[in-house]
Amino acid sequence: MTDSTAKLEVRDISLSFGGIRALQHVSFVVPQGAIFAIIGPNGAGKTSLINSINGFYHPQQGAVLFEGRDITAQPAFRRAKMGISRTFQNIALYTNMTTLDNLMAARHIHMKSNLLTGALFFGSARNEEIEHRRRVEEIIDFLEMESIRKTIVGNLSYGLRKRVELGRALALEPTLLLLDEPMAGMNVEEKEDMARFILDIHERQDMTILLIEHDMGLVMDISHRVVALDFGRKIAEGTPDEIKKNEAVIKAYLGQEV
Amino acid sequence: MATLEKERAATTAAVIVRSKENITIDPLATETDTLPKMFLQRVDAQRDKVAMRKKRFGIWQEYTWQQSFEQVRDLSLGLVSLGLQRGEKVAIIGENDPEFYWAEIAAWSAGGTTIAIFTDANLQELGYVIDNSDSVFLFAHDQEQCDKALALREKIPNIRKVIYWDEKGLWHYNEPWLMSYEQVQALGRDYHRAHPNAFMELAQQGSPDDIALLSYTSGTTSLPKGAMIRHRNLLFGNKHVIKIAPTKPDDEYVSFSPPAWITEQSLGLTGHLVTGFTVNFPESPATVQTDIREVAPSALLFPSRVWEQLAGLMRLRILDSTWLNKALFALFLPIRYKIIDLEDAEKSVAPHWRIGGWLADIAVFAPLRDKIGMTRMRNAFTSGAALSPDVVRFFRAVGVQLKNLYGSTECQAHTLHYDGNVKLATVGPPAPGVEIAIQPDGEMWIRSRAVFGGYYKDEKKTAEALDADGWFHTGDAGYVDKDGHIIYLDRVSDMIELANGEKFSPQYIEGRLKFSPYIQDVMTVGGFDMHYVTAIINIDFENVARWAEKNRVAFTTFVDLSQKPEVAALIRKDVQSVNETLPPAARVQKFVILHKVFDADEAELTRTRKLRRRALEQKYGDMLTAMYENLDEVKVSAEVKYRDGRSGVVETAVKVSTV
Repeated sequence: MTDSTAKLEVRDISLSFGGIRALQHVSFVVPQGAIFAIIGPNGAGKTSLINSINGFYHPQQGAVLFEGRDITAQPAFRRAKMGISRTFQNIALYTNMTTLDNLMAARHIHMKSNLLTGALFFGSARNEEIEHRRRVEEIIDFLEMESIRKTIVGNLSYGLRKRVELGRALALEPTLLLLDEPMAGMNVEEKEDMARFILDIHERQDMTILLIEHDMGLVMDISHRVVALDFGRKIAEGTPDEIKKNEAVIKAYLGQEV
Repeated sequence: MATLEKERAATTAAVIVRSKENITIDPLATETDTLPKMFLQRVDAQRDKVAMRKKRFGIWQEYTWQQSFEQVRDLSLGLVSLGLQRGEKVAIIGENDPEFYWAEIAAWSAGGTTIAIFTDANLQELGYVIDNSDSVFLFAHDQEQCDKALALREKIPNIRKVIYWDEKGLWHYNEPWLMSYEQVQALGRDYHRAHPNAFMELAQQGSPDDIALLSYTSGTTSLPKGAMIRHRNLLFGNKHVIKIAPTKPDDEYVSFSPPAWITEQSLGLTGHLVTGFTVNFPESPATVQTDIREVAPSALLFPSRVWEQLAGLMRLRILDSTWLNKALFALFLPIRYKIIDLEDAEKSVAPHWRIGGWLADIAVFAPLRDKIGMTRMRNAFTSGAALSPDVVRFFRAVGVQLKNLYGSTECQAHTLHYDGNVKLATVGPPAPGVEIAIQPDGEMWIRSRAVFGGYYKDEKKTAEALDADGWFHTGDAGYVDKDGHIIYLDRVSDMIELANGEKFSPQYIEGRLKFSPYIQDVMTVGGFDMHYVTAIINIDFENVARWAEKNRVAFTTFVDLSQKPEVAALIRKDVQSVNETLPPAARVQKFVILHKVFDADEAELTRTRKLRRRALEQKYGDMLTAMYENLDEVKVSAEVKYRDGRSGVVETAVKVSTV
């Protein structure tokens, strides 16, 4: 499953917005091939942490290392090209486009054809488009989205839009997948589907996955390792079983043992 | 069209009905008297023609007959090398896929018998069928079905291997009991190299009396029983239908009915082998409608329920459409109805009506047919529960001639509508080669070469259903009209006698009521100590909610919506209009709108979505009492299973409405 090489290392990062200290001296290491969860109450800094990893925020202090390289100074698009892709807590898709087009749009970072060859659409541009479509169709198959392939995303249910977003993240062909509350607002059936997809992705592609999730039962079920944040500080790190028993975590977040 | 003979044989005193005399069904040719032999002949005749298409990754992937042959040969020999013997049973649970068809042909070629199982079978149902049928192999489509097999492992020790064809999620199972389709086929290829003639010899060995299928009946009342369907039964069952509704090698067929259903076996797979048409497999169960539109098949069979849903959906889409579309539809639909009425009355249709009908087609109905994938439709069949005549009439106006096909697992098609002789209220005359004997109590007995060979390991049930003269006792009640058409009423046991001695068929009334877009399901009761007819109605949530939004009726949940007085008034109007067409005694006097819908998971419906009347009457006894004792409402606290898997108790008052 996991090995000792670090896929991602967050080294002592601190981030503040004016007087608000969103993250304070947070450090952890995500091993290659792990499902790694970040938990914590609202406002604990979980999304700030993900934003710092994918490059939306730039922490004032500390470093982010991806596959051993310091990427702290890299902008978000370059990190995406390196293989870090993410989903958002409040779904960010092109709502007036179809599922298929949303996924195809995500392939742009892998496209070589320029405006001219793309407009003429022959030769390599055409072949490239076919190849990208093939990849996208594999994702549609993988995430069982055949019936919504040509549906406008804005007309889809919340649960399905979350799935499309996951599909879009996969279309970037990442090696590290950041999922910001992938199961928020779903019913149990949809959550189970999503958990199954996450496990399938992990299993099939040996993907390293970092996820934020509120559903404790689910986090404990699928994660290999958990970090707990509270008020921007890391208060615990360990296996799900260790976290369940951790006093600080119970006090800060769970309220009682789960 | 059909001739009616009144034969009063001393023993039965039954009325015997046959199809027109001069339609005869040829006996089977010895070189094609089993399904594998038929398959080999087909492969020989059209090796490079497309046999099957499966939509994968958004594209229709094609398989020629030659490729189909290789798939079947390798799989069949793979099973043989894993120890499959002649006469052994192979169970298959999965969605419609080429792999499903190949597995069946492969098992048959090796002399095996197949058992197709509904994909939503739960552990208990699946375990029962595997055990009862003595299956030795199980084809399990995907992870979901393999998980079921693994959960049942202790209970199904006879299963030698579980073979899957969709590996998704199974990559790391590391379980030698599971094998992939390709692994079995690889064994088959080795076997073929060692014994190059083995497959052809095996496939030629069978006899038409070998059992091809054990088809488990849905069992409205008891445990499912396995009807033994022989190769010749399937071949004749198919012939009986295609004599009247011919199929051609270049036809396109869409395989979406569950293969566990005899019609898919008889008209789909057997039809594929007999006629050689192309079978198209939809991408997923959720894409069937769009895939049908892309294929535009020439023949199709939906259960009546699906036609009803489709009619409701089409009407609703038109209501939601632009004013122009609505106006055109409102203008042209009555014209088409008028023409249909004239045709049915066998009166000449005046030229101005013909022109109107033609304009209607160009403006409205041809585009509509395209939307539902029926531009090439020649044989649109309906089966299952009786279909409301109104739905048939609606589709006829659209330009799709629905034909009833009435049949059973035990002897496939009994009756069907012949071209040019479709009567809306009947299920048509007997199919060629089929005799129907209507008993004095109304029960229909069937005899034909498609009649099954009894229930597997159940002599008692077999003796009840099948007599020495080869008649299958259907348990269905019906009568024959002056043109030799059969009118299907109901199960004999479900016919109900009212206080005045008149019999009424709940199913018939229910069919009429269900044509309302607002009524999703309904059960009518009456008779014995219940002096009039009453109904328990399930509203169609989507349509009623839409109606409520348009009419500013505020509601919160299904339960709340169902008990709104405005909704009761809406439903009452539809009940009244149905009542007008019924004899006075059969009219619905009172109804309740249920606070939920009937659910197969709560054993209120069978898996084919027929009502389980006894269970429902028991479960909703309080409501029935309220309706017969003139109460205004009844408190219910029903256990419900929520979609999120939890179960809870709903406390509410269900109101009684008087019509």
